[in-house]
Amino acid sequence: MTQPVLDISNLCVNYQTPKGTVQALRHIHLQVPPAKVVGLVGESGCGKSTLISAVIRLMAENAHVAAGKIRFMGLDMQGFSASELRGIRGRDISMVFQDPMTALNPVLTIGRQMVDIQYRDGLSRKKKRERAARMLERVGISDGLSRLDNYPHQFSGGMRQRITIAMALLVQPKLLIADEPTTALDATLEVQIIRLLKDLQTDFQCAILFISHHLNVIAELCDYVGVMYAGELVEKGTVRDIFHRPGHPYTRSLLECDPSVIEEPTRFLPTIPGDIPSLIDLPKGCIFQDRCAHVMTVCRKTPPPAVHLGDHHTAACHFLEE
Amino acid sequence: MEPLLEVDQLRVRFRTKGSVKALLEKDDDPFIDGVMGVSFTIHPGQTFGLVGESGSGKTTLARAVMGLVPVHSGAIRFNGKNLIGLNRGQIKPFRRDIAMMFQDPAGSLSPRLKIRSLLAEPFRIHNRMPDNLPDEIARLLKMVNLSPAMGDLYPHQLSGGQARRVGVARALALSPKLIIADEPTAGLDVSVQGEILNLMARLQDELGVSFLIITHNLAVVRHVSDHAAIMYLGRFLEQGPTQTVFHHMQHPYTQALLSAHASPDPDAVHHRIAIFGEIPSLFSRPRGCEFHTRCPRVRDVCRERFPKAADQEKAHQYFCHFPLSESLQ
Ligand SMILES: Nc1ncnc2c1ncn2[C@@H]1O[C@H](COP(=O)(O)OP(=O)(O)O)[C@@H](O)[C@H]1O
Ligand SMILES: Nc1ncnc2c1ncn2[C@@H]1O[C@H](COP(=O)(O)OP(=O)(O)O)[C@@H](O)[C@H]1O
Ligand code: SF4
Ligand code: SF4
Ligand SMILES: [Mg+2]
Ligand SMILES: [Mg+2]
Repeated sequence: MTQPVLDISNLCVNYQTPKGTVQALRHIHLQVPPAKVVGLVGESGCGKSTLISAVIRLMAENAHVAAGKIRFMGLDMQGFSASELRGIRGRDISMVFQDPMTALNPVLTIGRQMVDIQYRDGLSRKKKRERAARMLERVGISDGLSRLDNYPHQFSGGMRQRITIAMALLVQPKLLIADEPTTALDATLEVQIIRLLKDLQTDFQCAILFISHHLNVIAELCDYVGVMYAGELVEKGTVRDIFHRPGHPYTRSLLECDPSVIEEPTRFLPTIPGDIPSLIDLPKGCIFQDRCAHVMTVCRKTPPPAVHLGDHHTAACHFLEE
Repeated sequence: MEPLLEVDQLRVRFRTKGSVKALLEKDDDPFIDGVMGVSFTIHPGQTFGLVGESGSGKTTLARAVMGLVPVHSGAIRFNGKNLIGLNRGQIKPFRRDIAMMFQDPAGSLSPRLKIRSLLAEPFRIHNRMPDNLPDEIARLLKMVNLSPAMGDLYPHQLSGGQARRVGVARALALSPKLIIADEPTAGLDVSVQGEILNLMARLQDELGVSFLIITHNLAVVRHVSDHAAIMYLGRFLEQGPTQTVFHHMQHPYTQALLSAHASPDPDAVHHRIAIFGEIPSLFSRPRGCEFHTRCPRVRDVCRERFPKAADQEKAHQYFCHFPLSESLQ
């Protein structure tokens, strides 16, 4: 098998808080192969952002990697110095966030920011501007050269997100990490951005780690999918494994809750009753036990094993068979 | 049955410059239209679903019905009585009958107040203190499936779903006849979204309250509402019984919105109706049919004239020169 761009093994991350240790990620195994899109889906608080911050090594002050390894292009991320990490983040790994203004400076023109980001390339300023303009047009902003002189506030929210994508790709990263990039957008813009990411990914051939709590977007964009619940990766597989043959009761419930898949109009929609367990006081056994419709005594005693359901498909549940 | 709410040709305008500036710049119309001649009806016990992209004027319309933004023209009749032009005293009893659940509950709940005090607020504001306030608060919490102990918590201690429940409980406080819910499930996870919508449906069955639900989630509207309207740049481009709007839509914008949804099937072949670009700004309202800048069926006439309603009397209304049932030559 070709070497994955990103290889996360047995990652455990804790947060120290006055109330105790929040075990935000527990034993995460996840790989992002070259030129593939891997989606991470899960409800808020399940640890998606924590995972990303661990990958790019920009963690909160009270966060701590308790165990595990993260390899980027085969190299242990732990082994890099702070300046090497900055280099990797600027060149090899790009980020797109939910709020485009995280990545844009409001007081600088788009052109200035898009030229600055190419500081490592030995091109003339003029060439860099031309490249930036072409990239703007590539992401659907017409008249790129003259738009370079505009400030971020002169663009709509959807346009700003296109600009951050253009900036992320200008450095030709090996890995693009997108944290809920479409969550704040209307569905009409969301599908446009998804389409754009898909096209760009085919052209640029970079790997993408795409985070969303929106299942349908994951279905449309991703090759592989990981489903997270309360700090654990409870199921992973190809996009078809997850959407056509979901194994884990949590994945199944989540898919059933989506009102867009329910054909017959109904005033009462399916839900997953209950709340996520406390990550400070973890229950013994299966993490999903309090909300699982199939829970049995064994689930409350023993953590379920990861069951192999197919080539790439695994799920952690006592009642699944290989 | 008599309608509960009848909105007739409602128009809301926002001033864009002061009168001096407008005079100096010889701008004889320093206004933009947030709501532009909207008409609709909500019957008792029914749910009216309003969809549209952000910036289409949904919140402005809701605020106008609540009396929170001045109305330029048109009528808002509640139980047959026009609320426009009433003075403060005359309008008071009606204000209690219409409650609002605001977008972003965390932002609209004061962080310094306990849930208990937040639930007492509507009574205080409307000068309607019940004889036994603690009992009343316990009753409200129970109605939305929250335990009485929740009364002692602060908003930041609640989950997203619980905060929405508090929003529902607050709206219910004065036993309104109409609740306007602005994006009641935005930002919630799907598993929790259902809980809130189910709660609203149950309360409707128990109390007979009507809902005006504003959302940009079409799937939600398809399930929960009796009538649906599609809003764009301050107008209802199409409205009618929900099933008709979803299954016999006539407006190209409705069709485009419906096909703009990602599908949970990775193998689905997307016959997506191309909808280009983004909603224009109110400052540069396109001439003619406002949707013409993005419409795949656009013809010259669309750029000139706004279409007339197909048939004003019918429940199903749409504004389009070339509705979908007519084939284009
Ligand atoms: N700095 C922090 N200190 C303590 N707990 C945190 C911190 N950041 C996140 N958490 C907790 O870690 C868990 C995972 O959070 P997060 O990674 O943000 O989830 P997601 O991105 O999936 O919504 C949550 O329970 C959250 O409350
Ligand atoms: N007080 C105001 N003055 C000027 N423009 C306003 C005002 N309130 C809202 N608008 C404009 O009206 C339009 C519709 O806004 P809104 O009703 O919030 O739409 P929606 O709720 O559908 O997203 C927006 O373009 C907004 O900027
Ligand atoms: S192990 Fe038990 S509780 Fe956990 S998902 Fe499987 S059946 Fe449900
Ligand atoms: S009137 Fe013309 S531009 Fe407007 S929606 Fe109909 S076909 Fe499209
Ligand atoms: Mg997050
Ligand atoms: Mg709004």
